[in-house]
Order: sequence, then structure tokens, then C-alpha cells
Amino acid sequence: MAAQEVLESDLPSALTLLKNLQEQVMAVTAQVQALTKKVQAGAYPTEKGLSFLEVKDQLLLMYLMDLSHLILHKASGGSLQGHAAALRLVEIRTVLEKIRPLDQKLKYQIDKLVKTAVTGSLSENDPLRFKPHPSNMMSKLSSEDEEEDEAEEGQSEASGKKSVKGASKKYVPPRLVPVHYDETEAEREKKRLERAKKRALSSSVIRELKEQYSDAPEEIRDARHPHVTRQSQEDQHRVNYEESMMVRLSVSKREKGRRKRASVMSSQLHSLTHFSDISALTGGTPHLDEDQNPIKKRKKILKKGRKKKGFRRRR
Amino acid sequence: MNDTVTIQTGKFMTKRLFQQKTMVIDVFHPGKATVPETEIREKLTKIYKTTPDVIFVFGFRAHFGGSKTTGGMIYNSLDYKENEPKHRLARHNLYKKKKTSRKQEQNKERQGTAKANTGTGNSEKE
Repeated sequence: MAAQEVLESDLPSALTLLKNLQEQVMAVTAQVQALTKKVQAGAYPTEKGLSFLEVKDQLLLMYLMDLSHLILHKASGGSLQGHAAALRLVEIRTVLEKIRPLDQKLKYQIDKLVKTAVTGSLSENDPLRFKPHPSNMMSKLSSEDEEEDEAEEGQSEASGKKSVKGASKKYVPPRLVPVHYDETEAEREKKRLERAKKRALSSSVIRELKEQYSDAPEEIRDARHPHVTRQSQEDQHRVNYEESMMVRLSVSKREKGRRKRASVMSSQLHSLTHFSDISALTGGTPHLDEDQNPIKKRKKILKKGRKKKGFRRRR
Repeated sequence: MNDTVTIQTGKFMTKRLFQQKTMVIDVFHPGKATVPETEIREKLTKIYKTTPDVIFVFGFRAHFGGSKTTGGMIYNSLDYKENEPKHRLARHNLYKKKKTSRKQEQNKERQGTAKANTGTGNSEKE
């Protein structure tokens, strides 16, 4: 019969397969025993934890093993209800889901590493190519005041026309490209308006309105007028400088005026009745309080040769 | 109100290169006017146990409301002359500024050079 012939032809292959199986099982048990011995001997320390990628690998492998176990179980007619492997699967699945955002964050780095490992160098538009190369800069000892700014490509080029004179130390002024100053009256007006708006926004009227309508808890602070605090900070800075440098700095007329104004402001009840001008926000003409001085347009006349080298703070 | 003068010192620094010790001095003098420098120097000699001629004080300013003054002090050991500014040495009578006017000196210089020049004998510039 056909079945018997099939059986006869299959028999030797079945025998060899069974022998192979036996050998392989013995090899696997030997390996597993060696592994457990190693683990018990502490050859794999995990106090510092496993690396993220290792964990992912292990979890995926465990998932596959449990899955295949369950398939086998189901194929031989068992039920999956409350099977220990099913619960393990669920656990592993939740962990993998939680790991996924971390994975997203690492994606860029891992991709880049893989690419560099494959190609052997950084790619064309890699931003790491733009880091500064101090070895490309010209030394200040050999040449006179040449500062190398980093160009787009990250390669610093000597701005070619400068001459390098080592021993004679001739002063070569930096070649800066002059830019045309082109601020029209309209732009100046706009700037003034913006500044007035900013000032108006921080005035007491607007601040009180904000406090009224905001949900934040009300803060009661011992705050003084902003001019006063600014002046007191400046004074403190000046005092510190004078004491540490053991010098006395001269006070210009402008400084004296500022100080006087600040002290007067803190002593009067000025802020009770005089409010700052918020016409920049409302769009009207700047109106004046009767007692106040008219609004002056300040012209900036820079004095020649402002000294006080160490002290002058940049505004 | 007690009329004593109290001295406190702060920011003490020893500068070996200049052979100096510098510090900031706070003088408390409630009920009195600003204390003269000589008095302050005397008090400091008592505190630091030296002679008053090596102590140089300067820069005393009264704080608002009176009764406190702050200034600096330099306390030298021997070779101080080259390190002190001349106006402070003058306060100790160790340096005298010459009193001739600048204009007169420049005239003298011009006379000297005009005589040295041989030639047409142009008179001095006015």
C-alpha cells in the first residue's frame, strides 16, 4: 500500500532526526547549566542596570518564547485561560509600550551611529561638521590682532588681505564692511511708539487691571518704585566697586540728578496721585498731569572719552 | 548720646608686592561732625601698633544722615614713597609741589630754544 511505502521511506530520516534531537538537547542542557553556573557565580553584574537596547532585546526574545509556548499549548488543545505565559505576555507588552517614547527620543542618535558605522564618516549636512576648529585659528603671538570668526562651513579662512607681520608688530586695523545707516523718520517714530507701549504696559494702572482679572493669587510685596530699586542697585554696585578697588569715583551731573530723583520719589506720596502715561496703548495724544514737567525728547549726545574703565556697566 | 568714635575695619588685604596693607574703614561718630584724618590715624596706630607716619588714609565720605563715614587706608612698611600718589605724600609733608606757574616755565623753555637757534634772531612768540 502507498501508506506503508511512505512510512518505510520516512523511517530512516525519522531515526536520524530523532538522534539529532537527542544530541541537540544534550548540548542545550550543557549550555544552560554552564550559564546558570555563571550567573550564580556573579559573572553578569546588574547593579548598574542593563543598557536600554539590551533590555529591549531581552524583552522581545522573552515575548517570542512565551508566544511560541502558548501556540504549542493551544495547538495541543489546551485553553489559554489564566495561563501563566499569557500573563507574562501581557506584562512584557505593557513594558514595551512604555519604552516606546524613550525609543523615539533615542532614534536620532541610533540612526546616526548606524549610518556612521556603515559609511565610516559623517554625512554631508551633519551639523557636527560646524564645530569650531581651534587648530585652524591663527595664533595671536605670531600675527597681530587677527580674530578668526567661524564661517558657515566651519573652516576658518584667514581674511586674506591682512598681512602677517611677526616681529615688527605693525598695527593693522580690522577691515569691517561699513553699512549704510538708513533709519527714516517713520522708523524712529515706530521705535518710540513701541518703547512707549512697553513703558505703559508696566505702569501701575495696567498692572492693577491685570491683578484684578487674573486668577493668580494676590501677592503683597514690599516693592518700591522701579526707578528707586534700579538706582539703589546701581548705588550698591558703585559702593562695592569703590571698596574693592580702593578708589573714589566721581559722580556726573546726570547721576546726581538721578539719585536725587530717586530719593525724592521714595519720600513723597507722588505715586498716589500721579499716574504714568498710557496713551501709547489707548492711541490718544500724550496728555500731561498739571504738576508734571512737559515731555522732553532726549537727544543722545555722547561725551567724548568716557572713562571709568572698569566700572561702566553696559545697559 | 555718647560721643565716642568707633572704628571698624573690613576687606583687609595684604599686598606684599607693594609692601602695603589695605582695608576699608568705617568710622562711627554719632553726635559729632566728620572726624579729622589725624584723629583717625592716631586710633589706627593704637589698633595696629605702628607709627602714624606709615599710615595713609583717604577718601572719607559721610553716609546719609551722618554718624558714619567710610574711607580707605593704606598702611605701609618702609619703602612707601614710590607707591603712594604725590598728593597723599604732600599731606604728610613728604613731598612739595613746585609753585612756579606753568606759563612762566613754558616761557623759560621758549627763551632757551630761541637762544640756541642761530640765525635771523626772531623774537619770541607772544
